[in-house]
Amino acid sequence: MSTYDADRPPYTPFFGAMGATAAMAFSAMGAAYGTAKSGTGIAAMSVMRPELIMRSILPVVMAGIIAIYGLVVAALIANSIDGNYDLFRSFCHLGAGLSVGLSGLAAGFAVGVVGDAGVRGTAQQPRLFVGMVLILIFAEVLGLYGLIVALILATKSKN
Amino acid sequence: MMDYEPRGPTKSMGVSSYPVYYSVYLLATTAITIIVGYYILTGQGGRFDIGWLLSSISPYMWACLGIGLAISLSVVGAAWGILTTGASILGGGVKAPRIKTKNLISIIFCEAVAIYGIIMAIVITNNIGSFNQYTDSEDAVLKSYQAGYKMFAAGLTVGVCNISCGICVGIVGSGAALADAQNSTLFVKILIIEIFGSAIGLFGVIVSILQIAGSKIGTD
Repeated sequence: MSTYDADRPPYTPFFGAMGATAAMAFSAMGAAYGTAKSGTGIAAMSVMRPELIMRSILPVVMAGIIAIYGLVVAALIANSIDGNYDLFRSFCHLGAGLSVGLSGLAAGFAVGVVGDAGVRGTAQQPRLFVGMVLILIFAEVLGLYGLIVALILATKSKN
Repeated sequence: MMDYEPRGPTKSMGVSSYPVYYSVYLLATTAITIIVGYYILTGQGGRFDIGWLLSSISPYMWACLGIGLAISLSVVGAAWGILTTGASILGGGVKAPRIKTKNLISIIFCEAVAIYGIIMAIVITNNIGSFNQYTDSEDAVLKSYQAGYKMFAAGLTVGVCNISCGICVGIVGSGAALADAQNSTLFVKILIIEIFGSAIGLFGVIVSILQIAGSKIGTD
Protein backbone atom coordinates (compact mmCIF):
# COMPACT_ATOMS: atom_id res chain seq x y z
CA MET A 1 0.00 0.00 0.00
CA SER A 2 2.98 2.28 -0.38
CA THR A 3 1.68 3.66 -3.68
CA TYR A 4 -1.91 4.66 -4.17
CA ASP A 5 -3.92 7.06 -6.27
CA ALA A 6 -3.63 10.52 -4.73
CA ASP A 7 -7.36 11.00 -5.20
CA ARG A 8 -8.14 7.81 -3.28
CA PRO A 9 -5.83 7.43 -0.29
CA PRO A 10 -6.64 4.60 2.11
CA TYR A 11 -8.31 6.92 4.60
CA THR A 12 -10.85 8.26 2.09
CA PRO A 13 -13.98 6.50 3.41
CA PHE A 14 -13.34 7.75 6.96
CA PHE A 15 -14.71 11.23 6.33
CA GLY A 16 -17.78 10.02 4.44
CA ALA A 17 -18.59 7.49 7.14
CA MET A 18 -18.15 10.16 9.80
CA GLY A 19 -20.51 12.38 7.81
CA ALA A 20 -23.23 9.76 7.92
CA THR A 21 -22.67 9.27 11.63
CA ALA A 22 -22.75 13.01 12.32
CA ALA A 23 -25.98 13.38 10.37
CA MET A 24 -27.82 10.74 12.36
CA ALA A 25 -26.21 11.16 15.77
CA PHE A 26 -26.59 14.93 16.15
CA SER A 27 -30.12 14.93 14.73
CA ALA A 28 -31.00 12.17 17.18
CA MET A 29 -29.65 14.29 20.04
CA GLY A 30 -31.76 17.25 18.94
CA ALA A 31 -34.86 15.13 18.48
CA ALA A 32 -34.36 13.45 21.84
CA TYR A 33 -34.04 16.80 23.61
CA GLY A 34 -37.14 18.11 21.85
CA THR A 35 -39.17 15.02 22.71
CA ALA A 36 -38.05 14.90 26.33
CA LYS A 37 -38.47 18.60 27.07
CA SER A 38 -41.91 18.95 25.49
CA GLY A 39 -42.92 15.55 26.88
CA THR A 40 -42.21 16.82 30.36
CA GLY A 41 -44.42 19.86 29.71
CA ILE A 42 -47.21 17.69 28.34
CA ALA A 43 -47.04 15.34 31.33
CA ALA A 44 -47.21 18.31 33.67
CA MET A 45 -50.15 20.05 32.02
CA SER A 46 -52.08 16.85 31.34
CA VAL A 47 -53.05 16.60 34.98
CA MET A 48 -54.96 19.88 34.76
CA ARG A 49 -56.32 19.67 31.19
CA PRO A 50 -56.41 16.06 29.91
CA GLU A 51 -58.51 17.04 26.90
CA LEU A 52 -55.63 19.09 25.43
CA ILE A 53 -53.09 16.23 25.29
CA MET A 54 -53.70 15.18 21.70
CA ARG A 55 -53.28 18.74 20.41
CA SER A 56 -50.14 19.16 22.49
CA ILE A 57 -48.35 16.24 20.88
CA LEU A 58 -47.44 18.57 18.00
CA PRO A 59 -43.98 19.58 19.37
CA VAL A 60 -43.13 15.90 19.82
CA VAL A 61 -44.06 15.18 16.20
CA MET A 62 -41.94 18.07 14.99
CA ALA A 63 -38.97 16.81 16.99
CA GLY A 64 -39.44 13.43 15.34
CA ILE A 65 -39.37 15.08 11.93
CA ILE A 66 -35.94 16.49 12.77
CA ALA A 67 -34.70 12.96 13.37
CA ILE A 68 -36.10 11.98 9.98
CA TYR A 69 -34.10 14.76 8.31
CA GLY A 70 -30.96 13.23 9.78
CA LEU A 71 -32.05 9.74 8.77
CA VAL A 72 -32.59 10.77 5.15
CA VAL A 73 -29.16 12.38 4.79
CA ALA A 74 -27.40 9.57 6.67
CA ALA A 75 -29.02 6.93 4.47
CA LEU A 76 -28.10 8.91 1.35
CA ILE A 77 -24.47 9.21 2.42
CA ALA A 78 -24.15 5.62 3.61
CA ASN A 79 -25.42 4.29 0.30
CA SER A 80 -22.97 6.45 -1.66
CA ILE A 81 -19.82 4.98 -0.13
CA ASP A 82 -18.99 2.46 -2.81
CA GLY A 83 -15.82 1.11 -4.32
CA ASN A 84 -15.23 4.15 -6.51
CA TYR A 85 -15.06 6.70 -3.70
CA ASP A 86 -12.75 9.67 -4.01
CA LEU A 87 -11.61 12.28 -1.50
CA PHE A 88 -13.77 15.00 -3.03
CA ARG A 89 -17.03 13.13 -2.43
CA SER A 90 -15.81 12.04 0.97
CA PHE A 91 -15.29 15.59 2.18
CA CYS A 92 -18.58 16.70 0.62
CA HIS A 93 -20.36 13.97 2.55
CA LEU A 94 -18.65 15.04 5.78
CA GLY A 95 -19.87 18.58 5.23
CA ALA A 96 -23.36 17.38 4.42
CA GLY A 97 -23.56 15.26 7.53
CA LEU A 98 -22.31 18.01 9.80
CA SER A 99 -24.69 20.56 8.31
CA VAL A 100 -27.86 18.54 8.79
CA GLY A 101 -26.68 17.12 12.10
CA LEU A 102 -25.76 20.32 13.90
CA SER A 103 -28.74 22.19 12.42
CA GLY A 104 -30.98 19.40 13.62
CA LEU A 105 -29.40 19.59 17.06
CA ALA A 106 -30.12 23.30 17.29
CA ALA A 107 -33.61 22.97 15.84
CA GLY A 108 -34.40 20.16 18.26
CA PHE A 109 -33.36 22.30 21.20
CA ALA A 110 -35.56 25.13 19.94
CA VAL A 111 -38.56 22.87 19.36
CA GLY A 112 -38.14 21.38 22.81
CA VAL A 113 -38.01 24.60 24.77
CA VAL A 114 -40.76 26.27 22.71
CA GLY A 115 -42.93 23.16 22.94
CA ASP A 116 -42.49 22.95 26.70
CA ALA A 117 -43.41 26.60 27.26
CA GLY A 118 -46.14 26.40 24.63
CA VAL A 119 -48.04 23.45 26.02
CA ARG A 120 -47.85 24.80 29.54
CA GLY A 121 -49.15 28.16 28.34
CA THR A 122 -51.87 26.65 26.15
CA ALA A 123 -53.22 24.75 29.14
CA GLN A 124 -53.81 28.05 30.88
CA GLN A 125 -54.74 30.20 27.86
CA PRO A 126 -56.17 28.23 24.89
CA ARG A 127 -55.66 31.14 22.48
CA LEU A 128 -51.91 30.60 22.71
CA PHE A 129 -52.04 27.40 20.66
CA VAL A 130 -51.83 29.17 17.30
CA GLY A 131 -48.88 31.23 18.53
CA MET A 132 -47.09 28.08 19.65
CA VAL A 133 -47.65 26.49 16.24
CA LEU A 134 -46.23 29.51 14.42
CA ILE A 135 -43.10 29.62 16.58
CA LEU A 136 -42.64 25.85 16.22
CA ILE A 137 -42.79 26.14 12.45
CA PHE A 138 -39.99 28.69 12.46
CA ALA A 139 -37.91 26.45 14.73
CA GLU A 140 -38.54 23.41 12.52
CA VAL A 141 -37.53 25.28 9.41
CA LEU A 142 -34.02 25.70 10.82
CA GLY A 143 -33.57 21.95 10.53
CA LEU A 144 -34.95 22.13 7.02
CA TYR A 145 -32.26 24.66 6.05
CA GLY A 146 -29.65 22.17 7.21
CA LEU A 147 -31.32 19.44 5.17
CA ILE A 148 -31.33 21.59 2.03
CA VAL A 149 -27.62 22.39 2.30
CA ALA A 150 -26.85 18.75 3.09
CA LEU A 151 -28.72 17.53 0.02
CA ILE A 152 -26.92 20.03 -2.19
CA LEU A 153 -23.55 18.90 -0.83
CA ALA A 154 -24.25 15.18 -0.78
CA THR A 155 -25.35 15.06 -4.41
CA LYS A 156 -22.46 17.16 -5.66
CA SER A 157 -20.28 15.63 -8.36
CA LYS A 158 -16.96 16.86 -9.62
CA ASN A 159 -18.19 18.24 -12.91
CA MET B 1 -33.81 22.42 54.49
CA MET B 2 -30.26 21.99 53.19
CA ASP B 3 -29.18 24.47 50.56
CA TYR B 4 -27.53 22.17 48.07
CA GLU B 5 -25.01 24.02 45.92
CA PRO B 6 -23.21 21.65 43.59
CA ARG B 7 -20.71 24.20 42.31
CA GLY B 8 -17.09 24.65 43.36
CA PRO B 9 -15.75 26.20 46.57
CA THR B 10 -17.76 29.23 47.58
CA LYS B 11 -16.49 32.65 48.57
CA SER B 12 -17.50 32.01 52.17
CA MET B 13 -14.92 29.22 52.38
CA GLY B 14 -12.22 31.78 51.62
CA VAL B 15 -11.36 30.24 48.21
CA SER B 16 -12.43 31.54 44.83
CA SER B 17 -12.07 29.18 41.91
CA TYR B 18 -11.57 31.74 39.18
CA PRO B 19 -7.77 32.15 39.58
CA VAL B 20 -7.33 28.38 39.31
CA TYR B 21 -9.43 28.07 36.16
CA TYR B 22 -7.87 31.13 34.61
CA SER B 23 -4.28 30.04 35.22
CA VAL B 24 -4.92 26.51 33.94
CA TYR B 25 -6.48 27.93 30.77
CA LEU B 26 -3.57 30.36 30.31
CA LEU B 27 -0.99 27.60 30.86
CA ALA B 28 -2.67 25.26 28.37
CA THR B 29 -2.97 27.98 25.72
CA THR B 30 0.67 28.99 26.13
CA ALA B 31 1.89 25.40 25.93
CA ILE B 32 -0.10 24.68 22.78
CA THR B 33 1.05 27.92 21.15
CA ILE B 34 4.69 27.17 21.91
CA ILE B 35 4.50 23.60 20.63
CA VAL B 36 2.62 24.53 17.45
CA GLY B 37 4.85 27.56 16.87
CA TYR B 38 8.00 25.46 17.24
CA TYR B 39 6.85 22.93 14.67
CA ILE B 40 5.70 25.50 12.13
CA LEU B 41 8.66 27.84 12.43
CA THR B 42 11.24 25.07 12.10
CA GLY B 43 9.62 23.79 8.90
CA GLN B 44 8.33 20.57 10.42
CA GLY B 45 4.64 21.42 10.00
CA GLY B 46 4.17 18.42 7.78
CA ARG B 47 4.71 16.14 10.75
CA PHE B 48 1.14 16.82 11.86
CA ASP B 49 -0.38 14.35 9.45
CA ILE B 50 -3.98 13.29 10.00
CA GLY B 51 -3.95 11.09 6.93
CA TRP B 52 -0.97 9.12 8.22
CA LEU B 53 -2.71 8.66 11.57
CA LEU B 54 -5.94 7.45 9.98
CA SER B 55 -4.26 5.00 7.65
CA SER B 56 -1.77 3.60 10.13
CA ILE B 57 -4.40 2.66 12.71
CA SER B 58 -5.36 -0.90 11.89
CA PRO B 59 -8.88 -1.59 10.59
CA TYR B 60 -9.29 -4.09 13.41
CA MET B 61 -8.89 -1.23 15.89
CA TRP B 62 -11.54 0.84 14.15
CA ALA B 63 -13.92 -2.11 13.98
CA CYS B 64 -13.48 -3.14 17.58
CA LEU B 65 -13.79 0.45 18.79
CA GLY B 66 -17.05 0.64 16.89
CA ILE B 67 -18.34 -2.55 18.45
CA GLY B 68 -17.34 -1.43 21.93
CA LEU B 69 -18.99 1.95 21.51
CA ALA B 70 -22.14 0.40 20.05
CA ILE B 71 -22.84 -1.77 23.05
CA SER B 72 -21.47 0.44 25.80
CA LEU B 73 -23.14 3.71 24.82
CA SER B 74 -26.45 1.92 24.22
CA VAL B 75 -26.29 0.38 27.67
CA VAL B 76 -25.44 3.76 29.22
CA GLY B 77 -28.53 5.23 27.57
CA ALA B 78 -30.74 2.37 28.68
CA ALA B 79 -29.40 2.54 32.23
CA TRP B 80 -29.90 6.28 32.44
CA GLY B 81 -33.47 5.90 31.22
CA ILE B 82 -34.25 3.11 33.63
CA LEU B 83 -32.87 5.01 36.61
CA THR B 84 -34.85 8.13 35.72
CA THR B 85 -38.11 6.29 35.17
CA GLY B 86 -37.66 3.84 38.01
CA ALA B 87 -37.09 6.55 40.59
CA SER B 88 -40.30 8.30 39.53
CA ILE B 89 -42.36 5.11 39.47
CA LEU B 90 -41.22 4.09 42.92
CA GLY B 91 -41.67 7.58 44.28
CA GLY B 92 -45.13 8.03 42.82
CA GLY B 93 -46.08 4.54 43.88
CA VAL B 94 -45.94 5.49 47.53
CA LYS B 95 -49.34 7.17 47.34
CA ALA B 96 -50.62 5.29 44.28
CA PRO B 97 -49.30 1.72 44.28
CA ARG B 98 -51.53 0.80 41.36
CA ILE B 99 -49.12 2.46 38.92
CA LYS B 100 -46.30 0.02 39.38
CA THR B 101 -47.36 -2.72 36.98
CA LYS B 102 -48.59 -0.49 34.15
CA ASN B 103 -45.45 1.68 34.18
CA LEU B 104 -43.16 -1.29 33.66
CA ILE B 105 -43.83 -0.62 29.97
CA SER B 106 -41.64 2.50 30.23
CA ILE B 107 -38.84 0.39 31.71
CA ILE B 108 -39.20 -2.09 28.86
CA PHE B 109 -38.94 0.73 26.31
CA CYS B 110 -35.61 1.71 27.89
CA GLU B 111 -34.43 -1.91 27.93
CA ALA B 112 -35.20 -2.17 24.21
CA VAL B 113 -32.54 0.49 23.62
CA ALA B 114 -29.92 -1.81 25.11
CA ILE B 115 -31.22 -4.68 22.96
CA TYR B 116 -30.72 -2.52 19.85
CA GLY B 117 -27.13 -1.97 20.95
CA ILE B 118 -26.31 -5.61 21.51
CA ILE B 119 -27.90 -6.67 18.24
CA MET B 120 -25.88 -4.13 16.28
CA ALA B 121 -22.69 -5.06 18.14
CA ILE B 122 -23.14 -8.73 17.21
CA VAL B 123 -24.01 -7.87 13.61
CA ILE B 124 -20.89 -5.72 13.29
CA THR B 125 -18.77 -8.46 14.90
CA ASN B 126 -19.77 -10.90 12.17
CA ASN B 127 -18.08 -8.74 9.56
CA ILE B 128 -14.59 -9.06 10.98
CA GLY B 129 -12.56 -11.41 8.82
CA SER B 130 -8.85 -11.78 8.29
CA PHE B 131 -6.70 -9.96 5.78
CA ASN B 132 -2.98 -9.66 5.28
CA GLN B 133 -1.83 -6.12 4.65
CA TYR B 134 1.33 -7.19 2.83
CA THR B 135 0.28 -10.13 0.68
CA ASP B 136 -3.29 -9.28 -0.31
CA SER B 137 -4.05 -7.34 -3.45
CA GLU B 138 -4.21 -3.56 -3.16
CA ASP B 139 -7.94 -3.64 -3.88
CA ALA B 140 -8.59 -6.05 -1.00
CA VAL B 141 -6.49 -4.00 1.40
CA LEU B 142 -8.28 -0.77 0.51
CA LYS B 143 -11.62 -2.54 0.89
CA SER B 144 -10.62 -3.77 4.33
CA TYR B 145 -9.65 -0.29 5.42
CA GLN B 146 -12.96 1.02 4.11
CA ALA B 147 -14.80 -1.70 6.04
CA GLY B 148 -12.94 -0.76 9.22
CA TYR B 149 -13.96 2.89 8.95
CA LYS B 150 -17.57 1.99 8.19
CA MET B 151 -17.78 -0.36 11.16
CA PHE B 152 -16.45 2.35 13.47
CA ALA B 153 -18.99 4.80 12.09
CA ALA B 154 -21.82 2.28 12.41
CA GLY B 155 -20.98 1.53 16.02
CA LEU B 156 -20.69 5.21 16.87
CA THR B 157 -24.03 5.97 15.19
CA VAL B 158 -26.00 3.35 17.03
CA GLY B 159 -24.27 4.17 20.32
CA VAL B 160 -24.89 7.91 20.27
CA CYS B 161 -28.46 7.58 18.96
CA ASN B 162 -29.26 5.03 21.64
CA ILE B 163 -27.83 7.09 24.47
CA SER B 164 -30.00 10.04 23.42
CA CYS B 165 -33.03 7.80 22.96
CA GLY B 166 -32.56 6.13 26.34
CA ILE B 167 -32.33 9.43 28.22
CA CYS B 168 -35.34 10.79 26.33
CA VAL B 169 -37.53 7.76 26.99
CA GLY B 170 -36.48 7.83 30.62
CA ILE B 171 -37.47 11.45 31.11
CA VAL B 172 -40.82 11.02 29.35
CA GLY B 173 -41.49 7.79 31.26
CA SER B 174 -40.85 9.64 34.47
CA GLY B 175 -43.47 12.23 33.51
CA ALA B 176 -45.87 9.47 32.51
CA ALA B 177 -45.51 7.72 35.86
CA LEU B 178 -46.21 10.87 37.84
CA ALA B 179 -49.19 11.81 35.66
CA ASP B 180 -50.51 8.27 35.98
CA ALA B 181 -50.28 8.55 39.76
CA GLN B 182 -52.65 11.52 39.63
CA ASN B 183 -55.08 10.33 36.95
CA SER B 184 -54.89 6.83 35.53
CA THR B 185 -56.44 7.75 32.17
CA LEU B 186 -53.40 9.88 31.26
CA PHE B 187 -50.86 7.08 30.99
CA VAL B 188 -51.86 5.76 27.59
CA LYS B 189 -51.75 9.22 26.01
CA ILE B 190 -48.29 10.03 27.35
CA LEU B 191 -47.14 6.60 26.16
CA ILE B 192 -47.56 7.98 22.64
CA ILE B 193 -44.75 10.45 23.34
CA GLU B 194 -42.56 7.59 24.57
CA ILE B 195 -43.16 5.76 21.31
CA PHE B 196 -41.93 8.82 19.41
CA GLY B 197 -38.84 8.82 21.59
CA SER B 198 -38.24 5.14 21.02
CA ALA B 199 -38.31 5.69 17.27
CA ILE B 200 -35.11 7.73 17.57
CA GLY B 201 -33.15 4.66 18.63
CA LEU B 202 -34.70 2.71 15.80
CA PHE B 203 -33.49 5.31 13.27
CA GLY B 204 -29.99 4.85 14.65
CA VAL B 205 -30.18 1.10 14.09
CA ILE B 206 -31.42 1.60 10.53
CA VAL B 207 -28.58 3.96 9.63
CA SER B 208 -26.08 1.66 11.29
CA ILE B 209 -27.27 -1.32 9.25
CA LEU B 210 -27.04 0.74 6.07
CA GLN B 211 -23.49 1.73 6.98
CA ILE B 212 -22.18 -1.80 7.43
CA ALA B 213 -24.15 -3.43 4.63
CA GLY B 214 -21.73 -5.31 2.43
CA SER B 215 -18.56 -4.21 4.17
CA LYS B 216 -16.28 -6.89 5.50
CA ILE B 217 -12.70 -6.90 6.68
CA GLY B 218 -10.92 -9.57 4.72
CA THR B 219 -12.24 -11.51 1.80
CA ASP B 220 -13.44 -14.80 3.30
